[in-house]
Formats: sequence, structure tokens, C-alpha cells
Amino acid sequence: MIQIRGLSKEFLGRDGADTGVLAIDSLNFEVRDNEFLTVIGPSGCGKTTLLRIIAGLIPFDEGEVQIDDVPVTGPGADRAVVFQNFALLPWADVLTNVAFGLEIRGASKSECEATAMRLVKLVGLEGFERRLPKELSGGMQQRVGLARALAVNPQILLMDEPFGALDEQTRRLLQEQLLRIWDQERKTVMFITHSMEEAVLLGDRVMLMTPRPGRVKEIIDVPLKRPRGQETEKSTTFVEIKEYLWENLRSMQVLDQRGEA
Amino acid sequence: MARVAVEAGKIEPVSMPLSLRQPFRDAWFELAALLGGVILWEVLGWSLAMPWLPPFSKILEALVQFVQSGVILGNVATSLEGLVIGFTISLFVGLFVGALMGRYRRVEKALDVYVNALLISPAMIFAPIFFAIFGLSGAVRIAVIVMYSLFVIIMNTATAIRNVDPALVEMASSFGANERQIFLRVLLPASLPLVFAGIRLGMGRAVKGMINAEMLIAMVGLGALAQRYGSQFEAAKVFAIALVVLIIALVGNWLVQAVENRLTRWAD
Repeated sequence: MIQIRGLSKEFLGRDGADTGVLAIDSLNFEVRDNEFLTVIGPSGCGKTTLLRIIAGLIPFDEGEVQIDDVPVTGPGADRAVVFQNFALLPWADVLTNVAFGLEIRGASKSECEATAMRLVKLVGLEGFERRLPKELSGGMQQRVGLARALAVNPQILLMDEPFGALDEQTRRLLQEQLLRIWDQERKTVMFITHSMEEAVLLGDRVMLMTPRPGRVKEIIDVPLKRPRGQETEKSTTFVEIKEYLWENLRSMQVLDQRGEA
Repeated sequence: MARVAVEAGKIEPVSMPLSLRQPFRDAWFELAALLGGVILWEVLGWSLAMPWLPPFSKILEALVQFVQSGVILGNVATSLEGLVIGFTISLFVGLFVGALMGRYRRVEKALDVYVNALLISPAMIFAPIFFAIFGLSGAVRIAVIVMYSLFVIIMNTATAIRNVDPALVEMASSFGANERQIFLRVLLPASLPLVFAGIRLGMGRAVKGMINAEMLIAMVGLGALAQRYGSQFEAAKVFAIALVVLIIALVGNWLVQAVENRLTRWAD
């Protein structure tokens, strides 16, 4: 379980003076074990900052970030991140990229290989083991990113707009695949997105954030039964929650043209 | 024309045969340009009949004589010895210092002004200082070669490391990579293409440094030979030596390129 209490983060101005920007302001929430939490909010709501804090990649100023009552002080074996821009090593083939996290954590060569093979198969990239990232489509690259994160068998998967850089068709296919995988390998997932459909389709709950400073506006339950798929999006509940999100986001000046991604 | 991008593969280029033929055409074009230059040289050499522009055939003749008399071999060996030692020192020191400067802001701030100053200052100015340090030994020659080639390697390596996609470093950190792992598994491989650009420049400058040191300081090797024939106005022989130096530079460049191609195939 991820527990966040009174979390604040301020980015200092360029000269380190007190012209800082409050990115996150006293957040309180929990992500339950094996829960799929989606986080949505307009640009500047600090959702990516929040994810990087939980990943242990950047420090925070105030409050508590705990995973199963243990404070987060840096990256840990219990977490793995899937990045928006994939962050694959361009010189390494698919198998090596998938095994990267394991290798960093000191797994033996044979273990790396066996696990990587299993995950390549899980994300449906069999036959592409020896390809370089540049030889793959965007969707395939992100499947490598997902496999790499799953390879270290984390308890928590932190996903930072993982499908944001993909086209609509690819995005849909990957959403379905992610749900299937999540069904098999139960993980706690925190998933950042700025697609309302994605937030509702994937999440057990949707956390809605407000910008400047980033605060939690509301956490919305998504009582849609699983497995979810194409049919889900036609249900009234789905449409209602989506509309509700849109009303809120619209009022937060989503139209101020400042794209974050 | 609309094409659907398939998940599995990239779109095939339609004009395959043309794109295949292109490199060959380029190679022929280059060869033709080279041959044209040689012929032009030959014609101008005969028609102008100037002492400073001997026909190309005379230069080749001088080269053949050099090889037959054995005078060139010993001098090439002497020159190459200095080049190899000097360039190797530059390579290792350059990569090490450059990597530190690229990774650590403090190191960069501390050394940047010195590296920049030494990069643009004429290396030969320091010859008297090298004499004072090393005396009348071969070390002076090597020091000049290092002066010529070191700083461009440092600069390029630092820039290369600094320009590595921070997303890759963050990714490695997210898996708990330590500083050594980040360096060896991410920064080093990611920066190789740019690092090699610096090494190639360094190789070129090392050859320049080698000849300058031999002509102006040490009076050995090919540089001394060129100096001697130059003062006797033997243009054909000077050009023949220049040709040998050019070949050394090209082979050096080719060696670096060969290693580079092996290591950075992914970047093409």
C-alpha cells in the first residue's frame, strides 16, 4: 500500500531564490494493494512530479511517503517505472533492454535471460528479441518498457503517461493488453494519464487533481466490472464518469493551451 | 498514397533499386574527382613548368625512390612511434577528464576555462617550456603531440556525456543503478558516437602535431626530412613526404572509424 500524507514539493527558481513554484500542495491519499489507480489532471497539476517522488527519483519537502509503512528514501526493488518516452537503450536489443533492471540489480546472466524471455513472450514480442528499439514501432517500444518494468517483479508499477506518445489505435491495443497482464500478475498500479477515457477504462479509482499548486480534488470510484473492454465504454456508468471528469477538467482551464506532454 | 503502418514492421521504401545504387555511384564520383585532380595536376605541372609545382608523376617517382633507398622506412617508424605514444596518452587522459567534466558540474566549472584556453592556444608556444621540463629528449615531441590532440578529445567527450538523454539516466536510477553502473551501462555507450567524433579530430590534430614537432623541434622523422628537402627546394620530394603523411593520417582515421563502426552500429 502506498500512503501519502501531507506531501508538498516546491521547485526552486532558477537562481535558487524564493521565487519557487509550489508543484504539489499537502496531498493525502492511499493506493491500496493490487489497486489500479489512475491519476488525471490538467498540465501543471504535478502528477508527474508526484509519480517521480513515489519512485524515489526526486526528493520532496514536506509530508510522508510510505510504502507498507516504510518511508521512501530512494528507488527500491518494490517499485518499477514505465516512462512516457519509453527510455529504452538505443544500442541494446529487446532482450537486453527487458533484462536491464534485473542486471542492474545483480541477477545472474541465466536468470536475466530466462526472465526476459518470459516477459518478451508475455507482452507479445516473440521473434523480436534481437531487434533494436529503432526497428520497432512506438507501441512495440512501450511493450518493451512494460516488460522491463515487470521483469524485476515489482509490487508497485508506476506508469507515467505510458501511452501518451502513441496513436489512438495502438493506445487501445496496449490498454487491453495492460489490463490482461494486470489480471494475471496482480500489481498495485499508479497510472498517470490525461485521457479521460483511459482513466475510467483502466482505473479502479480515478484521482482528479487541480493545477498550480497540485492538489487532490476528488477520488472517484469506478464501479465497472472486470474484465473491461470495448463493451465497457458503451455503458452508462463509463460515460457518466467520463462526463463528470470533463466538467471538472473544463472548469480548471484545460483550455489554456499549455501542453505538458 | 495512403499506407497503413503495421505494428510489426516499418514501411518498405518503394524505390529500393535506386537507393541501393546510390552509394556505389557516390564512390565512383569520388574516384573520378580524385583522378581528375591528379590529371589536372599533371597537366599544370608540365605546362607551367614551375619549380614549386612538379608534375604528379615526378612526385610518385620521388616516393618510389624514397621507398627503394630505404630512407623513408626508418623515418616513418620514428614518426609513428611519437604519434602512437602521444595519441594514446591523449586518448586515455582525454576520455577520463572529459567524462568527469561531462558528468560533474563542479569539475566542468573548474576545468572548462583551462581546457578552452589550451584548445585554442597554439601548442608550439609551449615548446620552450617542454624543453625546460623534459630536456632535449623525445618526450618534447610527444608532449607537443599531446598538446595538439588532447583538448579536442576532452571537449568532445565532455559534450557527449553531457548530451546523453537524461531520461535514460533517470530510467537507470529508477532501477537503483549506482554511479558506476550509470557510467558504464548508460553514459558510456550512449555517448560513444560523439566521443568518436572527438577521437577522430584528435587523430587528425595528432598527425599535425607530429609533423610540426619534427620540423620545428626535434628534427627527426618525416618532418625533419621535409624540412631538409624544403630548404634544398626539392619540391617533388617535399610533396612525396606530404603524401606519406597524408597516408598516415588517412590510415589513422580509418582505424578509428573501423573501431567506431564496430561499437556504434546501432546509431546509423
